[in-house]
Amino acid sequence: MKNGFSVFIAAFIALGASWCGFVLAPLLQLGTAKQTAVLVSGDTYPIQRTGDATLGLQVYRANDCAACHTEQIQQSGVAFDVVLTGLGKNPMAVRSAIQETCELIYKDNPKDKNLYDMLVEHLSPEQPFSPATILNSVTKTIADSASDKITAAGGKVETHLIPTGADISRGWGVRRSVAADFLYDSPVQLGSQRIGPDLADVGARLGNANWQLLHLYAPQSVVKNSAMPPFRFLFEIKKIDDAPSPEALNLPKEFAPPAGCEVVPKPEAKQLVAYLLSLRADAPLYEAPFTPAQVSTNAPAK
Amino acid sequence: MNEISQQKIDASCRVPLLALFGGATLWLVVGLALSVVASLTFHKPDMFACCPFLTYGHAQPAANDAILYGFCIPAALGVMLWIFARLSETELVLPLVPIVAANIWHLGVFIGIVAILIGDSTGFVWLEFPRGSSVLLFAAFLLIAISAVATFGQRKERELYPSHWFLLAALLWFPWIYSTANLLLASGHPVRGVTQAVIGWWFADNLIFVWLALVGLGTAFYLLPKLAGRPLHSRFYALFAFWTLMIFGTWCGIPQGAPVPAWLPALTSVASSLLIVPLIAIAIIFCKTVCGANVTCKGGPFCYIKFGTVAFLLSGLMLISSACPHFSRIAEFTWFEQAQTQLQILGFFAIVICGAIYELLPRVMGFGLPFPKFVRWQHWLFMLGIILLVVSLAVGGIKQGLAALVPKNSSNDILEASLPFLRASTLGLLFLLLGSLLFAANIFVMTFKWKLALIKSVIAYIKSPLETAEVKP
Amino acid sequence: MSDDPKISNPQPDAEPTATRSTVPMWIFSLTLVLIYLGAVYFDHHGGWFDAKVYGPYASADQLDSYQPKSGAAAAIARGKKLYEMNCGICHGVDGLGKPNIAPPLAGSEWVKAKGVQRLTHIPLTGVSGSIMVENQPWNLSMAAMGAALPDADLAAVLTYIRASWGNGMGEVTADDVKAVRAAIGAHPQPMIGDQMMKMPE
Repeated sequence: MKNGFSVFIAAFIALGASWCGFVLAPLLQLGTAKQTAVLVSGDTYPIQRTGDATLGLQVYRANDCAACHTEQIQQSGVAFDVVLTGLGKNPMAVRSAIQETCELIYKDNPKDKNLYDMLVEHLSPEQPFSPATILNSVTKTIADSASDKITAAGGKVETHLIPTGADISRGWGVRRSVAADFLYDSPVQLGSQRIGPDLADVGARLGNANWQLLHLYAPQSVVKNSAMPPFRFLFEIKKIDDAPSPEALNLPKEFAPPAGCEVVPKPEAKQLVAYLLSLRADAPLYEAPFTPAQVSTNAPAK
Repeated sequence: MNEISQQKIDASCRVPLLALFGGATLWLVVGLALSVVASLTFHKPDMFACCPFLTYGHAQPAANDAILYGFCIPAALGVMLWIFARLSETELVLPLVPIVAANIWHLGVFIGIVAILIGDSTGFVWLEFPRGSSVLLFAAFLLIAISAVATFGQRKERELYPSHWFLLAALLWFPWIYSTANLLLASGHPVRGVTQAVIGWWFADNLIFVWLALVGLGTAFYLLPKLAGRPLHSRFYALFAFWTLMIFGTWCGIPQGAPVPAWLPALTSVASSLLIVPLIAIAIIFCKTVCGANVTCKGGPFCYIKFGTVAFLLSGLMLISSACPHFSRIAEFTWFEQAQTQLQILGFFAIVICGAIYELLPRVMGFGLPFPKFVRWQHWLFMLGIILLVVSLAVGGIKQGLAALVPKNSSNDILEASLPFLRASTLGLLFLLLGSLLFAANIFVMTFKWKLALIKSVIAYIKSPLETAEVKP
Repeated sequence: MSDDPKISNPQPDAEPTATRSTVPMWIFSLTLVLIYLGAVYFDHHGGWFDAKVYGPYASADQLDSYQPKSGAAAAIARGKKLYEMNCGICHGVDGLGKPNIAPPLAGSEWVKAKGVQRLTHIPLTGVSGSIMVENQPWNLSMAAMGAALPDADLAAVLTYIRASWGNGMGEVTADDVKAVRAAIGAHPQPMIGDQMMKMPE
């Protein structure tokens, strides 16, 4: 290039293009996002944190917990379960439709034959009917065709959508994390290293405040061989007054303070725990659908 | 070319460069020491439980920022000023400005590092410095850029050399990305929700991959031909590499599994696959310029820059692989990403800049290095340290990722799969720390000698008898 | 004047130059091929910049087709919420109604009818005049409480009513509601009690 000005223009174009793509466009698309509706129940999501949980986010930031923990669940695919919920008027036709469907599928997977045999027994005429899973973790096409066949025979069928992925199988979450999960967070603490477990859904998974406080003070007392450093500076060790404090931690012997003393959480510890307990990502959304656990009604079984 | 003139050019850079390099060296040592501290927490979790400011969450970001903002950027700016002065064949214009700016910069970094250690970080990765500190850094950068552009403007040879393109682009790049990121994230009104993360990733990629590549390659394309004694191959290849690096490299930031709409990671995947093109071009330039040169490097600056350029190519390949969805399913959230970042910052940039400093400093100061043997030792320590650090983190990361794919492994099991490799990486960091101490020894002793000589000359001037004019009767 | 060790023989070093060899064509072709492949990849995985499409879904259509439309259970849960907000105040959260306010829905033959047409009319047009519910006369008026609800929401409420409190009847779909709404027309008048009793189910 001929002169400094043309170099400047070249750099301006290159950086300007990515500025438009990764700064301006997300600002317009995601930066103006509002609450979204939860599938099924019609609630809005997310709900803004209040009180200690909001302050807890700042304690999380100050200690840079995001250096070791992520707050994002990943999903690698979707699978479907097909559940029979009613036999309708013509149980024989429905049973034969089920048999036809399953045989086609289990023909390719002989190890599922045991499941099929159990299913046949479950649906035998002598037993009173109760809902049963016909197909487990199949693709959408198989689920839809099975569903159509059985509905045509008069039966009532539900297909359940289940996200799949290593994080979900491990129990770290029920669906992938999406932008709506972080709508009210500032600063967003997504994390980039999983030295410790993912925390996106920890409020649902480990929602016990006492466990969380113990884990902060002495991680090795609740998780053997934990690599997490103890955050003792979030707690105070003080002499027991007339009566032990109701907030004192109930520590095992190796981690207990000297006799006559108790470990009491400071406000930062309580705020951090409130924040951790507020971390949930279990509402089904349009962009991350899944079938949640069934809501019970008063209807008698048909 | 006039010999005296070149000495004058070098001498004009002396004080600004010393101001920049002195602080930079100190931050390199501090940063690597903090990295060692952070790494030690994996040997025994409660090693630093007494001190809140030494936990992993404080030490690691402080270490990263100290190395990047404290060492890499000021050293880069110093080398850039010298290259501009040399290529322009004029003395450094406005020499006082970089001196003031260097002090402002190092003050800003100091405030920032202290803020991170006491828990006052902003919470944004690579932008942890508080607002006041960021303003100081931005102002200092602009001041140095003014001096650099002014020197560039005074050039005698009007045709631009490839290094000019890379370095000038870098002068635009940093202020734009730094101001955008700070205004939108770390200001009083940050953007909403996950947009913060997207802008943060854009900033990190542009700073660590693209900016360091622009400056490092600009330096390498200046010094490799000079040290090899052959011309750069070739001008048009370098132009191609420049354009493609800038255009494709700047889109490579978004991780694959991010909680953002699918088009963002898809664009990153596409751009990363296209990144192979500038890497090929740079590899060809490197091979054709360097291979076959009749120069042995003996652990000198030539070795540094060769190693650094190869490290850049590897770091680029690692970046491309982590944007491939199938591989990122294993490597995301593991030490592999950390390995790529360390290879880029330490393996490529720190080594190239150290080599450049060793090459230019004797010329700028006017006398040789006080410990010439240290150059070779440091080269070996850095090389061993980088290989140990990057290979162990990368392999540990892949093992961690493979363990994470098995649902029945708890997070403890996953970490334990990579622990031996983490512990090996501490050794790599120790080698690097040792090497940086050798570097610091050279720089500080040189500075001290120069200051001593300056003081001696001032004293001699004061003591010398005043010349009086003869009074004619 | 000073006695620092100078470089023994300070030679001026030449500034580097660059050759002018051309860039071969194959690297441009490679770039173009990669751009093409990248465009294909983006087409398959990029969701075409839709804000709602997240991996592993490939497009907005696919995401839409994967939404759980499965039957009664989903609708019932949603219907429960909407019922409690819109209808429960008068008809009771337990469906038992309130004297002089609204008739019961639990066990009501209006709810448990085989067809859903008549039932769907009620919230869309409102009722006035006298009707019999479970052999009790009710002479009240009801506004068109469901007219403002979208089809799917009203269908969910009616499904919930039909499934709950021992009624055990099947669902009302959004299409049913749409059909009835279309049949009613733009300006519905509240149905008179006698009219309603004669209506087909």
